[in-house]
Amino acid sequence: MTMKSAAEKNWAKLPDILNEGIETLPQLMLYQAGRFGDRVLHRKKDFGIWQHYTYIDVVDQVKNFAMGLAALGVKRGETIAIVGENEPELFWSEYAAQSIGAKVVCLYPDLTTSQMEYVIIHSETVTIVCEDQEQVDKALELEEKIPAVHTVIYWDERGMWMYDDPKLMTFKQVQEMGKDYIGKHPESFEGEVAAGKGSDIAVLSYTSGTTGLPKGCILSHTYLFDTVLRIAGAFPMKPFTQYLSYISPAWGTEQMFGVSMGLLVPFVVNFPEEPETVQENIREIGVETLVFAPPQWESLASLVQSKMIDAGRIRRRLFNWGIDVGRRVNVGKLDGEKISRGWRLLYHIADRVVLRHLRDNLGLQDSYFNLSGGSGMAPDVFRFFHSMGVKLRSVYGTTEMNLLTMNQGEAYNLETVGTLLPVLPRLGPPLECKTTDEGELLVKGGLGFLGYYKNPEATAKRMKDGWYCTGDVVNITERGELVYLDRLDDMRRLSTGHLYPPQYIETRLRFSPFIKNTMTLGDDEKPFVGAFIDIDASTLGPWAEERKVAYSTFTDLSQNREIIELIKSEIEKVNHFLPEKSRVKRFVNLPKELDPDEDELTRSRKIRRDFLEKKYANFITAIYSDKSEFEAKVPVKYQDGRTGILKASVYINDL
Amino acid sequence: MLDNNGYFLRTIGLQLRFGGVVALWDVTTNLRESEILAIIGPNGAGKSCLLNCMNGFYHAQEGDVFFGEVNISRLKSYKIARLGIARTFQGVQLFPGLNVIENLLTGRHIYMKTNPVQAFLYRPWAHREEIRERRKVEEIIDFLEIKHIRHKLVGELSYGLRKRIDMGRALAMEPKVLLMDEPMAGMNLEEKEDMARFVIDIREALDIPVVLVEHDMQVVMDIADRIYVLNWGNVIAEGTPEEIKKNPEVIQAYLGEERSR
Repeated sequence: MTMKSAAEKNWAKLPDILNEGIETLPQLMLYQAGRFGDRVLHRKKDFGIWQHYTYIDVVDQVKNFAMGLAALGVKRGETIAIVGENEPELFWSEYAAQSIGAKVVCLYPDLTTSQMEYVIIHSETVTIVCEDQEQVDKALELEEKIPAVHTVIYWDERGMWMYDDPKLMTFKQVQEMGKDYIGKHPESFEGEVAAGKGSDIAVLSYTSGTTGLPKGCILSHTYLFDTVLRIAGAFPMKPFTQYLSYISPAWGTEQMFGVSMGLLVPFVVNFPEEPETVQENIREIGVETLVFAPPQWESLASLVQSKMIDAGRIRRRLFNWGIDVGRRVNVGKLDGEKISRGWRLLYHIADRVVLRHLRDNLGLQDSYFNLSGGSGMAPDVFRFFHSMGVKLRSVYGTTEMNLLTMNQGEAYNLETVGTLLPVLPRLGPPLECKTTDEGELLVKGGLGFLGYYKNPEATAKRMKDGWYCTGDVVNITERGELVYLDRLDDMRRLSTGHLYPPQYIETRLRFSPFIKNTMTLGDDEKPFVGAFIDIDASTLGPWAEERKVAYSTFTDLSQNREIIELIKSEIEKVNHFLPEKSRVKRFVNLPKELDPDEDELTRSRKIRRDFLEKKYANFITAIYSDKSEFEAKVPVKYQDGRTGILKASVYINDL
Repeated sequence: MLDNNGYFLRTIGLQLRFGGVVALWDVTTNLRESEILAIIGPNGAGKSCLLNCMNGFYHAQEGDVFFGEVNISRLKSYKIARLGIARTFQGVQLFPGLNVIENLLTGRHIYMKTNPVQAFLYRPWAHREEIRERRKVEEIIDFLEIKHIRHKLVGELSYGLRKRIDMGRALAMEPKVLLMDEPMAGMNLEEKEDMARFVIDIREALDIPVVLVEHDMQVVMDIADRIYVLNWGNVIAEGTPEEIKKNPEVIQAYLGEERSR
């Protein structure tokens, strides 16, 4: 059986929406509501109880809000910004805006006011839908700089009792306006939805901006259908799969999964009560599919590991035995090995005694489709989850070109991000890829890149002879699997001429439960690889306590001799897998935690290399000198907004 | 609940003595509707004593406490609680072996009517009551943003969170007035900011006036509408935060007198 026919089989199980003339998400929503009526689409825990919203409920909410927006004067083609945590109202606002032909831009809830300002102005937003007081405050602070915004809507009324800005409205008030509007113009909602076209812009997805200003990537309705059908073609999914919406819709991936796939497959989309309760909620609902970014999978893995560090000796040994058996059997299967009967029996026991309980405690017992979106997670993390019996797959793509590859089938190489996804022929030609001499991945096929909003120069820069240049360096294996190495801009050449992959090293270091973040150093002026280590105080604190290692502050902990020795042994583990010249030779433990509020990390918790290189320039100088200790001064911003200078004596450590 | 003068809670000429020690001397205070009232003063000034007189832990030898029109100066503390005066304590007084929900439910005891027999049979009486009371508790959990710890044992929680739950239990009584004894003591900056926001929310969202005994001047100046200053059991000043800041007697009580050369 070839790959293609498998995809066709999977597609055949889905409703043929293209034949039904369905082009937009709101049209799909109404179509599915007609089929499923009182089945549950959204669920959210409120006052300790899971409240559900059926298709009929959701359509009702969306309809009223959509016509409320229309009554407020929002027109086809205008932009609505939505900012908040994942909650049903966020999804309803999005479907509502799209129903009347408006496009949506979702913002990360922890954006600073100035970061928000750029996107709001660039996207020509006319109305902002906020979750709560925190977001409303930001919107109102910007009021004078964003005159085009005529209304600010919020759905969580907590703390809003004393606000009287004329631009403010509650979500419910807008819905009331919508009801009145529908009273006067019945059928207006259905008319607006029917007028939507597949080529309409559904979402502007601003890239997280590791470099330069964020660019607004255009996602049309057809684009979203294309992506959903790529995944659905590669992997058969059960209707009414329990899905947890956790990754932010500000990231294109959630637009593809929670928002679009949620309607097509369909999913039961569950919203966590609070970001802090995600772990608990996953377990309560028994998720069946989970899409996380690598940091979230990594933190789940370190959670298990750090709990096991605390566990008693017997339990720890039992755990290690179970994981070893799981690794032998499950990872062996992935590599296409034949598993002997003895091992299968042993696995059965390990599963009963250890693995099943692990999965159950994490809430992943029923989870049959687990994805790590984005690139670059250490294969060790994947192996760990597979050992546990959780089939974790990598999916790779760019917001511009949609999802491109995924670990497909039952045997795949965990070092890779998988093979190219199938494309529904009616939506575009199949995906193709090739690499340049430098190793950069070029792709074409599917619906293709629709461009950056109001930025043709940047768009043109990404295209070369009809190929989209991803800027990612990959290695394509004989089986057509892609090995993600690094961003092209980030591959670095040492002064010796040796090319080394910084991210590759960093993701592997981050898997250590004691290392929260890290940045490798080394460029054409430096002869070897050095590293900054951002230690993880939440695991090192208890580690130090257990061994009666005294410390006072984070700074003190980071420069403690025993801690340094521990970190050294963690780096050595990673060095072991690297060619001699790419190994980390010297490192420092940073005396303060890296913090997105100080622009040291992006909102998606990636390190901001250029910024760190400037801020910690004297650290770098010290690493590449022959000193073994130096007096550091680091500017810090405290929680209450005050700033100061942290002075510390920092050790430079050799490996 | 207001009396003729628009006062919610009043103390008139309170005198409290422990043997020869005078703890309060002729203390007259009043609390207006939807007001955050702070009581400040140096250590041993009698702040907690005044709070204890208001909710019936202590009974003053002289003077009266009025809750609206009702004279509560001789009432037992549990009766005062039933009238709608709730308080939190300087040290946290929770059940460490119970979880957050159970601790908050203890604040609902005055509303529970099921008798032991009904409770034993459970349905429908106790069942119905449990649903109703649990819902109330969930509203408080939502209000105080402690959803992530609702099933945790209180003994395992940080001090700041325990303080918040202590406040939650007082709110579970659906009080008409909330008395708080040093809610910010021993907290870090972030916890203090959270607590201050909740105190303001209690007034704004629930419209419950708050009497606050507090050491942290910055917090008091930020959130209080009006302040009483006690020193050696006497009220030495009363006014808005701005007025209090400038009051020479207050400055003297806090900073001491400049020594004459």
